[in-house]
Amino acid sequence: MGMEIPFDVANIPGPEMGEVAPPEVIGSYISSAKRPLLVVGSEILRDDFFLETAIEIGRRGVPIAATGHSIRGFVEKEYTENVSYYNLHELTNCLRDPSWKGLDGKGNYDFVIFFGIVYYYASQMLSCIKNFAIDPLIRAVSIDRYYHPQARMSFTNISPEMEEGYKDMLNRLVSSIK
Amino acid sequence: MEELKKGGIFNISDLKNVRISIGEIVEEEEEWEPMGPHPMPGIATLRNWDFLLLNRYKPFYAPLCDMCCLCTYGKCDLTGNKKGACGIRMDAQHGRIVLLACLVGCSAHCGHGRHMLHEMIKKFGGDVPIDFGPEVDVEAPLTRLVCGIKPKTIRDYEKVFDYIEEQIVQLADALHTGQEGSYMDFESKALHMGMLDSLGKEAADIIQIACYGMPTSYEGGGPDVPLVDVGIGTIDTTKPVVLVIGHNVPPAADIGDYLTENGLEDKVELAGICCTSIDTTRVYKKAKIAAALGRQLRVIRMGIADVVVVDEQCIRADILELCQRVHSPLIVTNDKAMHGLVDRTDDNPDKIVDDLVSGRVPGVVILDPEQVGEVAVKTVIQMDKKRKGLNLILSDEEFKYYVNDCILCGNCTLACPNGLRIGEANQSAASGDIEPLAGLFDLCVGCGRCEQVCKKHIPIVDVITKAAYPQIKEEKGRMRIGRGPVWDSEIRDVGAPIVLGTIPGIIAPIGCGNYPNGTKDAWLIVKEFAERNYIVTLTGCMAIDCALWKDEEGKTVYEQHHGRFDAGGVLNIGSCVSNAHIHDAAIKVASIFAGRPLRGNYEEIADYILSRVGACGVAWGAMSQKAASIATGFNRLGVPAVVGPHGAKYRRAFLGRPDLKDDWKLIDATDGSEIYFEPGPQHLLVACETVEEALPMIAKLCFRPSDTDRGRSIKLTHYIDLSLKYLNAYPPDWHLFVRTATDLPIANKNELLKKLEDEHDWEIDWKMKRIKEGPIRGYDPSFNPTNLRRLIREKKK
Repeated sequence: MGMEIPFDVANIPGPEMGEVAPPEVIGSYISSAKRPLLVVGSEILRDDFFLETAIEIGRRGVPIAATGHSIRGFVEKEYTENVSYYNLHELTNCLRDPSWKGLDGKGNYDFVIFFGIVYYYASQMLSCIKNFAIDPLIRAVSIDRYYHPQARMSFTNISPEMEEGYKDMLNRLVSSIK
Repeated sequence: MEELKKGGIFNISDLKNVRISIGEIVEEEEEWEPMGPHPMPGIATLRNWDFLLLNRYKPFYAPLCDMCCLCTYGKCDLTGNKKGACGIRMDAQHGRIVLLACLVGCSAHCGHGRHMLHEMIKKFGGDVPIDFGPEVDVEAPLTRLVCGIKPKTIRDYEKVFDYIEEQIVQLADALHTGQEGSYMDFESKALHMGMLDSLGKEAADIIQIACYGMPTSYEGGGPDVPLVDVGIGTIDTTKPVVLVIGHNVPPAADIGDYLTENGLEDKVELAGICCTSIDTTRVYKKAKIAAALGRQLRVIRMGIADVVVVDEQCIRADILELCQRVHSPLIVTNDKAMHGLVDRTDDNPDKIVDDLVSGRVPGVVILDPEQVGEVAVKTVIQMDKKRKGLNLILSDEEFKYYVNDCILCGNCTLACPNGLRIGEANQSAASGDIEPLAGLFDLCVGCGRCEQVCKKHIPIVDVITKAAYPQIKEEKGRMRIGRGPVWDSEIRDVGAPIVLGTIPGIIAPIGCGNYPNGTKDAWLIVKEFAERNYIVTLTGCMAIDCALWKDEEGKTVYEQHHGRFDAGGVLNIGSCVSNAHIHDAAIKVASIFAGRPLRGNYEEIADYILSRVGACGVAWGAMSQKAASIATGFNRLGVPAVVGPHGAKYRRAFLGRPDLKDDWKLIDATDGSEIYFEPGPQHLLVACETVEEALPMIAKLCFRPSDTDRGRSIKLTHYIDLSLKYLNAYPPDWHLFVRTATDLPIANKNELLKKLEDEHDWEIDWKMKRIKEGPIRGYDPSFNPTNLRRLIREKKK
């Protein structure tokens, strides 16, 4: 683990900045979470691989909140089992409320994974979770190709020529979700 | 009186040294409407209304910074909603920051307005009548509503600005360490600031309309305003080009006057960027709009302008450096942005021209607009000759050198607000494919941060411009000039369909160009809603940017749609200050169509608008503090707004929760009964990630409890259809807006009834095609919704 430059270089929030973590560590946290939630955004539509990755995580029992217009992809793939459209602002607003019933009516979540969301919008929502979803604590992590300092844990910045390496990281993460 | 001494002192009988001072002489006022309950409200006057809004649309904070650095106790770490040394928590601190942003935005509009008033009184006198022609009797709805004043001349706005400025100071006071500590009260103050902002905008625009004879309801105004050229490609660079930038039109107007008076209209191009350009087209027929804010850096760097004239707001802070780089003299015309230049207002104009043309000085300050007119024109004619042959577009060799010099370090991407992959585009260009680089031109917001971090000192902005140059030369659009107020007669025609919902909404795309994905989104938003018979009212940069794109027939949205305030209309209302007329249109629906008293009656009118006027602002590229105060002003009046993803960086949203039933209670003013209602509008301020998501969201925020079943059916049609078109899915909450079977779109009523039965467990009477059980409430055509108990007509016994 180590520190990294935020993808938007001036996005230094303050004393608490997220750790860079390898996929297996994040995967193990997802596995040990009581109620994890995968939050995906429009950038998963840029390549079928990312959509398939989200679906694979969904198949492993993690419900999916499809934000932006990412729901399109799930409908086209005919995977709608545990996927719900939500606006990210609306969703984050609910997450900060401990009494929220969740997508399934069974209560709020303890671990959220951000994936494929426009960087700066995701950063702001991660900031809200970090600062206000504190009792009980919700841990928010990012598995995007950006370092997100507002997340508890994040991947590092990954340049486009390392795209295959990034895909490999996502495969390792999925494999580590038990 | 026995003896009069100097200084108004005199003796009366035995009383000596009596002083009488005469202040303002108050003329007997025309009885135009009884005064309402809240004329010139103070900070706390409308607090109950604010809290009603804030309890339904709870402030949501997303800190951009976890620290407070405002006093010497700090820095304080507020992470996790901790308290700082002064006792303030993270949420209150962010309410404070929002208030500060609104303060800055409101001050910009109102400072501009006061400046305008001073200039206009100096130039035209204070007795310029406020007369907007036969179709506009309610000339100043916000002024009447907030101040209780019916302005007759521009001088009447002295009192309005006195009020605004006093309130601004009081609100600024609340920002100090050791003052306000509640985020709810900070937000109430921000809403108050937003209201002042809207009032100040209205004042500024009314003053300039009155003084310059900008379009109103006299001949050629309103829906009939002419079209004007928009786009970099429309500027004739074979002529001398004066480029005006900013928001305060008097200097540009005087340039236009000087050109007209000297027969130079066809010999010199007067083009502009941002709101000054919009307002210049309202006063000078030959003016052109080069671009909106997002192109500012690039227009200057392309060297189009032989002289640059700036006034105030949205001017780049490095404007002088930019102008020097392209050998364009800079004339600064406003004391709020003087850029370190020498004030030459009192100098001989010819001497100033000589100094600018010779290059002895890179720029000057001239605070007299008439003198600006003379100096700018004389200078541009000489500079055009001097600058002939100057080519500031990179040569093919330079371009090739730079794209090959890129080392793909990625620093530009990390610095770019949109995270654009510039290095990869350079790499493609180096391999002979310039399309990815050219494609960045419209996606770029024009900030130039990439160049600040480039290890190879590549002029990235110029490299992208070079790649896109063929398309830039073809950037030729058309837009209506700013029409100013919506006519009373138009409101009479559309008041009922708006309130009943059969015109599904008023969509107001406004504000800056910090778009997540280029200007085409602005066009798509306008096109989509105009084609669906919403009324689209634009101001500012979005009004410009949407005109850069054309349909298959080569027409812009302004050419394709009429300019009436009616279904399917696309109206350019004007510059940023003109967007007060959009507030005004909503207010007029309440006052003219519904006959609600206007004078000093903000709370009731806002309550009416929130419950009945399906309007939604869209600030897709909101960037500035002004955009923050504009949106907050809309929100207090009961109008929601959607912002683009960058808008999340404003740190605060106002979000409703449909799952919290008790947040959605209204009163039926007819009998005082409380009714649970559907979440319409669901939010007051929300960000969307993509335009595909925004389109159905905008449609959703047009639902109002007053919709008739026919109106609701139309609104539901568009909400569902936009969601299916752009999200490929039914909206998960469409059923919340169904009160009765006749609310359902007729075309697929059976299908929707089935979905209600299967997916939401509603009970359907299939024989009668009726809903037996399920909706939040039934449809009651006599429902008279209000949030204010004092408006109950007859208490339920």
